[in-house]
Amino acid sequence: MATTNVPLENPSRARILERIRTALRETPARPIGPGERKIFAPVDDALDRFQKECAANITEVAVTPDMQASARTVADLLAALPPGEIFVQDSPLLRRLAAGWQDGRAIQWSSEGGPKESVQATITLAEGLVALTGSVITSSSCGGRGASIVAPVHIVVAGADQIVPDLDAAFVRIRERNLAFNNSYLGLITGSSRTADIEKILVMGAHGPIRLIVVLALRNE
Amino acid sequence: MSRAAQEFLRSAAIKSADLTHRQVIRRNIDSYNTANERGRSRFLDWEAARLKCEQIKWEAVNNLDRYLLEFEQRVKDRGGHVFWAENSEEARNYIANLAAARGVKKVVKSKSMVSEEIHLSPALEKLGIKVVETDLGEYIVQLREETPYHIVTPAMHLNRTDIAKLFKEKLGDVDTDDPQQLVAAARRSLRRDFFSAEMGISGANFLVADAGMIALTTNEGNARLSTSIPRIHVVLSGIEKVIPHLHDLAVLWPVLATAGTGQPITCYSTLVGGPRQPGEADGPEEFHVVLVDNGRSELLANPEEREVLHCIRCGACINACPVFRTVGGHAYGTTYMGPIGSVLTPRLRGLPEFNHLSYASSLCGACSDVCPVRISLHHHLLHNRRDAVAESDRPFAERVAFRLWRWGMLGEHRFAFFGWMARLGMRVLKALHLDGTVFDPARPWNRNHAATVPPPKPFRALWGKSDGHN
Amino acid sequence: MARVALFIPCFVDQLVPEVGLDMVRVLRRIGCELDFPEEQTCCGQPAFNTGYWEDARPVAERFIQIFRRAEMVVCPSGSCTTMVRKFYPELLAGTAMQKEALALGERVFEFSEFLVKVAKVTDVGATFPHRVAVHDSCHGLRELHLKQESRELLRHVRSLELVEMPYSEDCCGFGGTFAVKFSAISAAMGDAKAGFAETAAAEYVTGTDPSCLLHLDGILRRRNSAVHTIHLAGILAQTGGAAERRPPAASSRGQR
Repeated sequence: MATTNVPLENPSRARILERIRTALRETPARPIGPGERKIFAPVDDALDRFQKECAANITEVAVTPDMQASARTVADLLAALPPGEIFVQDSPLLRRLAAGWQDGRAIQWSSEGGPKESVQATITLAEGLVALTGSVITSSSCGGRGASIVAPVHIVVAGADQIVPDLDAAFVRIRERNLAFNNSYLGLITGSSRTADIEKILVMGAHGPIRLIVVLALRNE
Repeated sequence: MSRAAQEFLRSAAIKSADLTHRQVIRRNIDSYNTANERGRSRFLDWEAARLKCEQIKWEAVNNLDRYLLEFEQRVKDRGGHVFWAENSEEARNYIANLAAARGVKKVVKSKSMVSEEIHLSPALEKLGIKVVETDLGEYIVQLREETPYHIVTPAMHLNRTDIAKLFKEKLGDVDTDDPQQLVAAARRSLRRDFFSAEMGISGANFLVADAGMIALTTNEGNARLSTSIPRIHVVLSGIEKVIPHLHDLAVLWPVLATAGTGQPITCYSTLVGGPRQPGEADGPEEFHVVLVDNGRSELLANPEEREVLHCIRCGACINACPVFRTVGGHAYGTTYMGPIGSVLTPRLRGLPEFNHLSYASSLCGACSDVCPVRISLHHHLLHNRRDAVAESDRPFAERVAFRLWRWGMLGEHRFAFFGWMARLGMRVLKALHLDGTVFDPARPWNRNHAATVPPPKPFRALWGKSDGHN
Repeated sequence: MARVALFIPCFVDQLVPEVGLDMVRVLRRIGCELDFPEEQTCCGQPAFNTGYWEDARPVAERFIQIFRRAEMVVCPSGSCTTMVRKFYPELLAGTAMQKEALALGERVFEFSEFLVKVAKVTDVGATFPHRVAVHDSCHGLRELHLKQESRELLRHVRSLELVEMPYSEDCCGFGGTFAVKFSAISAAMGDAKAGFAETAAAEYVTGTDPSCLLHLDGILRRRNSAVHTIHLAGILAQTGGAAERRPPAASSRGQR
């Protein structure tokens, strides 16, 4: 796609920067900040906390002993969904586990592109899980952007060893694995899509998935 | 009095008398307050969180050039474009020209107050481009041809019956007032738009300098879809939205969610930077960030007022404001309403025309109490008033009145004399039954209050004479 | 007990002097020796709040001079106390008097604050057999951090039933010149508060700010409400003698 016609001249840029620099010659006093005060209480039992928070934010969590069991759990979930294609992140692990998912159902792999509008479910891995908020860390490496937002059902195949206690730990993980640099999309997903725009009544299933399901293997294979 | 001030007074008077409207708002705010209180209790130390967020925004805004340049470079490294727009017109033109050049027929928009500020939609519509608001609240007010009532909850003033009627009229295939079904109807309709639009336009809660990414949060997922499916993604943001580090979001995200809606974190807390990278399954092919100044650099140049630029647009101040609760969001007649609107608008759009917003407050301070980045909003309202007076934006009669007041207060005998005159005046007016009428200088007061019966003697006369009662 | 200089706000002096007189009674009862610097007029708040700082400044400077030698200053108004303690330093920033303003700020107290935090008295020997709700005036609450003080004092008033009204911390809508400039909004805000006082079935609404109470009272009377207002000093001044069942504050002077 042509990226010509994007105006290369932007004379306002210099003017704005100049005004900013001039403005910043004088600086008000720096605020004291929180010092040593802790903002969040430490998370003791991350697995337990993760499950509690997911219950509160309406993320379904299915705990399994290992990945093989997870594969079966996913198969059961799919069996209960309407017929139609599913979209799966093209990863070696999911390729292995997917054998049991193709019973009467075509798989669109992420290596072929983003999910079609009509897929019944998407299945992806996660970059991590956050106990404090019951969140899933996803990125465009987890099957692309649409993988976590297009389908009415999003199933995340994860391991308990992926759980980090809080948001500080989540961002440490993001930095250590270079997730921001390596992806054009990175995000935390906490529960399934919802809105309270009508009389402040919580309605589930706005534009994103109506169901978010984390299939959590206690042993990562 | 400016046109805007007259309009405001008129709208405010109407809304103040509208008890139904006040009840709707009160109910919504009560809901918010319950959720927010619960949300704050999830923090070990909410005050520490506020101090941290204040510190982060101070660092960002007081080093704005450095962090904006870092952000710009990293966005470009990712294959994105950054355009710096001096004002509304430049921002509109950039986006309109881009849309025209790319053959864009339809735009899906997630919530962006800056897009309201620059009046973007009419400019695109004039080119024959369909603009679809995807945030449910924005979608609803768009169908009603209204402006957003509140920066976070744009349709706060409507109940389900209003929305049902609207959907029935505009969407056709809906005949229910059940919120579940109304949302499902919106989902069906908007889904078609997500998958057919050529361009997605979003705002940004934060511009992350060290990552070259923008941070966006929604509960609905509309911003995710708007920034994943269309082939072009345009971000509109004020220049002040920058933050230094990705890690800053570890506290900014939960604080924004708590202050905004009482949630621990918003459902879709998203970072995007640049078009899709090679090897990614999907994503836009183009990424443009339009940075908007529109008066912000002028505000920056005022060190006393600079902290107003720390605002993270959470809406907490609006929810806390008793004036907002009384007149509602539309009465302000401006993009930004409530305390932040009353502080910001006169600074961005001129004290002469908009200083009345800074006067339309009892300075109760509830806004400053709740602001998660600790902006002393009510003090800024006071500063706006001071500067309006210094610039002679106030009515001549008022200036004269305070000259007189000052003279009267600089001597106890003059003061006592004026006090005596006032009390006499009150008695005369009362005796002639003129209180509350056009002849009453205190008409605005006496119209709504039962008349105060003045005391026969002031304190200073009673003191010393048998020392009052005893 | 300390020697106290009385800071009587301008409109208390001229419109509701009984608030000042009631405060005098209570302070004397707990053993304070009182002075009333007669040269005082106003703290300057009306001009300051309206943005007329050039006009407020000389009035503030005069105030500081008048109270310069006072050991302790007590005021029956949270907003006027706030003006002196919190806003004089800003108003007088960069002037020779700023230091004095800061020093004076440490010696000026709102009435309930003085009783509880300085005099360390919570029982002033009062009797008031009524159902009372407290309105938390904004300046007192948010600038002086007063909330429990008046409640502590009221809890020690014999026969008084203390109730909480819903949204006691919501602004009443007075706001000084705001009440005149934006009278419709101000009245609506007061109206909402009046409704909450009625919901709590309070016989009296009290507080630390006579301006709030004047505003609420005018609206309650307009509504023919069963609720009346009375300043905190008005309650604390009552010692329960039968002869003393004098009706409270401005409500008594035959308002419509």
